Amino acid sequence: MPKLTIDGREIEVEAGTTIIQAADQLGIEIPRFCYHERLAIAGNCRMCLVEVEKMPKPVASCAQPVGEGMVVKTNTAVVRKARQGVMEFLLINHPLDCPICDQGGECDLQDQAMAYGSDRGRCQEGKRAVPDKDYGPLVQTMMTRCIQCTRCIRFISEVAGTPVLGGLGRGEHLEIGRYVNAAVSSELSGNLIDLCPVGALTNKPASYTYRAWELKKTESIDAMDGLGASIRVDTRGNEVIRVLPRVNEDVNEEWLSDRSRFAVDGLKRQRLDRPYVRKDGKLQPASWAEAFAAIAARIKGLDGSKIAAIAGDQADAEAMVALKDLMALLGSPNLDCRQDGAKLDPAVRASYLFNSTAAGIEEADALLLIGTNPRKESPVLNARIRKRWSKGGFKVARIGHKSDLTYKYEHLGASATVLKDIADGKHPFFEVLKAAAKPALIIGQGALAADDGAAILGLARKLADAAGLVKDGWNGFNVLHTAAARVGGLDLGFVPGTGGRDTAAIVDGAAKGDISVVFLLGADEIDVKGLGSAFVVYQGSHGDAGAHRADVVLPGAAYTEKNATYVNTEGRAQQTKLAVFPPGEAKEDWRIIRALSETLGKLLPYDSLKAVRERLTKVSPVFAAIGEVTAAPWGAAFGTDGTPSDRSLVSGIDNFYMTDPISRASKTMAECTAAFGGGCNHKKTGTHG
Amino acid sequence: MSFIDRTARAFFLYELFQGLAVTLRYFFKPPVTINYPYEKGVLSPRFRGEHALRRYANGEERCIACKLCEAVCPAQAITIEPEPRADGSRRARRYDLDMTKCIFCGFCQEACPVDAIVEGPNFEYATETRAELMYNKSKLLANGDRWEVELAYRIAADAPYR
Amino acid sequence: MVDLLAGLLPPFVWRLIVIVVQIVAIVLPLLIAVAYLTYAERKVIGAMQLRKGPNTVGPLGLLQPMADGLKLFVKETVLPTNSNPVIFIGAPMLTFFLALVAWAVIPFDQGMVLADINVGILYIFAISSMGVYGIVMAGWASNSKYAFLGGLRSAAQMVSYEVSIGFVLISVLLTVGSLNLSDVVLAQKKMWFIIPHLPMFFIFLISGLAETNRSPFDLPEAEAELVAGYNVEYSAMAFALFFLGEYANMLLMGAMTSILFLGGWLPLFDIAPFNMIPGPLWLFLKICFVMFIFLWVRATFPRYRYDQLMRLGWKVFLPFSLIWLVLTASVLTAFGWLPNQG
Repeated sequence: MPKLTIDGREIEVEAGTTIIQAADQLGIEIPRFCYHERLAIAGNCRMCLVEVEKMPKPVASCAQPVGEGMVVKTNTAVVRKARQGVMEFLLINHPLDCPICDQGGECDLQDQAMAYGSDRGRCQEGKRAVPDKDYGPLVQTMMTRCIQCTRCIRFISEVAGTPVLGGLGRGEHLEIGRYVNAAVSSELSGNLIDLCPVGALTNKPASYTYRAWELKKTESIDAMDGLGASIRVDTRGNEVIRVLPRVNEDVNEEWLSDRSRFAVDGLKRQRLDRPYVRKDGKLQPASWAEAFAAIAARIKGLDGSKIAAIAGDQADAEAMVALKDLMALLGSPNLDCRQDGAKLDPAVRASYLFNSTAAGIEEADALLLIGTNPRKESPVLNARIRKRWSKGGFKVARIGHKSDLTYKYEHLGASATVLKDIADGKHPFFEVLKAAAKPALIIGQGALAADDGAAILGLARKLADAAGLVKDGWNGFNVLHTAAARVGGLDLGFVPGTGGRDTAAIVDGAAKGDISVVFLLGADEIDVKGLGSAFVVYQGSHGDAGAHRADVVLPGAAYTEKNATYVNTEGRAQQTKLAVFPPGEAKEDWRIIRALSETLGKLLPYDSLKAVRERLTKVSPVFAAIGEVTAAPWGAAFGTDGTPSDRSLVSGIDNFYMTDPISRASKTMAECTAAFGGGCNHKKTGTHG
Repeated sequence: MSFIDRTARAFFLYELFQGLAVTLRYFFKPPVTINYPYEKGVLSPRFRGEHALRRYANGEERCIACKLCEAVCPAQAITIEPEPRADGSRRARRYDLDMTKCIFCGFCQEACPVDAIVEGPNFEYATETRAELMYNKSKLLANGDRWEVELAYRIAADAPYR
Repeated sequence: MVDLLAGLLPPFVWRLIVIVVQIVAIVLPLLIAVAYLTYAERKVIGAMQLRKGPNTVGPLGLLQPMADGLKLFVKETVLPTNSNPVIFIGAPMLTFFLALVAWAVIPFDQGMVLADINVGILYIFAISSMGVYGIVMAGWASNSKYAFLGGLRSAAQMVSYEVSIGFVLISVLLTVGSLNLSDVVLAQKKMWFIIPHLPMFFIFLISGLAETNRSPFDLPEAEAELVAGYNVEYSAMAFALFFLGEYANMLLMGAMTSILFLGGWLPLFDIAPFNMIPGPLWLFLKICFVMFIFLWVRATFPRYRYDQLMRLGWKVFLPFSLIWLVLTASVLTAFGWLPNQG
């Protein structure tokens, strides 16, 4: 543990720490462009020069490991002069187009130039110009602005694991780009924009539409996938301009998947902004009162068993608990939040959680992926797996479709029979798991959402017990969810009651006429056409499949438009914040259900968000611990003993860019689908091979 | 003695007559005002009058919708909506200036990196309705076209002092 | 012909017609004079402030008063919500009416007077005292604190200065020995009263400024603190009537000053070419002179503070004019100059 002094303050740090890291620990700011704490050290921008006693010249603090008794000065005349020199060199070729640069106002180079730049240049020569590269529909390039910090190269190679960028040419002619001219097809490419310290890589869909200083920042939670990344929603007026990741070491570090980042233009398209009632076969605009009256007229006198409710993938816990209570008041046991029919066991919490937690993946040393493609289902989590894999000593095997996961894995086959072999101890990978200190498995929705899902879950449970996945302080049994609403729904018991029907049975019953009223809470991924002659009430934010089939449409709020609770795949309850107001007459979802309950004469006993959340915590203590994970007890059996069929365990997500009503409405996501190909289970994408 | 002096001055309204004498003297002096609509005073090149959006010599509008004027405007009179134009350049889709809010501080022209928004020499733009004072981009560009000769002269005249 | 016409109508109708014609002959020029007094005011003050004054409407801006009048005429009369409409409308009418009726006793020349009553001064005094009612009514009926304060101030101010005006008048009428205004003028054949009564002339002039709410005594309508005093709520014709009334009162005060101190219609010197100028024109010129002083004063002096105004009226003018009255009476008695003795 070397001890050193920075600016007169002593600090003891671990050996191998660099000066800039030590300074960061002390809160002493050293300017930097190329250095990034999550990327490899490059040391090529030279902005972080500091003076170290007994060293003849200023040293790059990001690349200099600390030594015992080092005396570092970060704010001397020599340091300032050196940094001014570096800044002058950087600005020789950097264009003065800050006024039209989208990075303007949040640009590291701009900020540092305020501190170390001169107000005039000494260089009379023309600036160099670099042709722009096509990085696809998400990342706008303006390569003339590039200062060759190589953060993007390091990110795409190290973190994203798709090494498609590099430096071409030398010296004056050095350009960052692709070796072949094609779009950057990574599910994490949006992070290049955040990493770029200048305006060389910017947000293409939002290009030239905003300035950093005019955006209102709301810290919220992502609801586009099961991980629930921490995000910042930047809005102007009542419009979401962009979404940026927030640092949350437990969940997403500081990365965000492209869908979560770029699908926000879907929030402005195909929105339901007023209630509709179907009259003469056509949806006609109606008032809230008319819509409620239409529902009440239909439900009046109906037996509870003829009413059913299905919650979609982005339903928030508040709305689900309100709908659950309403269904209970109506006497209906038919409700389900698993619209894909995944055979998850709501009775045992550990059976549907990502028990090791996302951060826990970094401790695992063997991993079995069952019917999941984490790269598509949760790219940020996949980056974690890759991070663990990059450290070495980490064996990954996969049962399911073969595709590039950005790290090497052993493909054990596509069929569930392989899983049975492993669980029975007949497969060599069983020994790998058994030998590992912290073995883990990740089971995807693709494996569970089938008739034999329960059997596969049972096999996974058997394997976990047999191979010692669950130990003291370690639970390697992980279920990776793709829906933000799923864990919340299971936690609060939005599942069939005694004698109730699940999703498939509800659809079946509706087709047969046993169910006459179906309430869809943002559920679009079920077979809406197969609902027969049932009266369908659709409550959601977008005019998607469900709304097209509906007889009454109630306009709800998207995740950026409400204060809502979501539980992520780890079982971490997190709350979104209202960033913009819902469009038109749309309302927060639980309020709609509360208002409907009044019309139905079954008044729900809460009329404020606080009261709903109190009710939530009463239903499950999970909702009381916001932002925290409570380990679920392992013990009770789950899954069934049956033999799974011989089907191929493919991922539940076919097209990464379009998984929910918001991304399906998004123009940007449509462009991505066109550029990178839709189906990832069957078609090869640009990064294959 | 001074008491007598003071009292006498008060009784004979001395100061009052002095004051009257001053005004009477001025009564016969020629007026200094100019006959405004027919005669006009000299304006400094820095005079801050009605706004205009300028163009380059090739007819291309200068404004790049960088929003610096919007950000600096203390009266929040400017509203800009930028958009990428078909040729990829950044332009203002909307450039609205509320002349009823404007306080003519000139910060906008100081902030403008391309000399697009300027405060011209025109101060005679009174309107009959309030709505006419909500200037949009086309109105501002038309102003620029109308005053361009003068605007260019003013900028050139002030250039040595910048 | 005349006999024929006289036969057509009964004699009292004829008298009525004659009187109406006489009234019109006084009122019409008076109103025109009021209009051009406003013009003169703006021009004179403009010149003293090195400005041009109105010069756009008509040649030299001569049609400006007509334009102003037209503007006020076509504007909407706004009635404040909580005002008393009858009194609110009645106040400007009363002010205007009073400003006009006082002119009935003003002699324009020997015998050229509408009502040659022998209590002319008393009549004028009574009418001008009533002027305060219009203002107090306006201040009260507007139901606005500014108007109310303006009305209060005006009432106190006018009452205060009326007292010293009264003593000035008594000094003059002691010297004349008649309350008839024509007699007052004729008494000045040898010497205008401005010479023996010079201090009284100034007191009368200054009190006249206060009586007509003119600068520097325009506290009732002080813009800075009362926005416009009693006429803050008035607009259009109601305001115009106040305005006309005030300026007619100014002219009346000018006429009174001329009659009491400047010899009325009498020429400056009773020699050619002065005595060739007709009497009414002399009176007109004298009124013009007094009016010029009024405007000149307005262009010169800042507004009095209210307590200063009161102090001047009660503590300076009242004792001084009282002393002067005693002095006048003593001198007249001592030298046996009292007129109409016996």
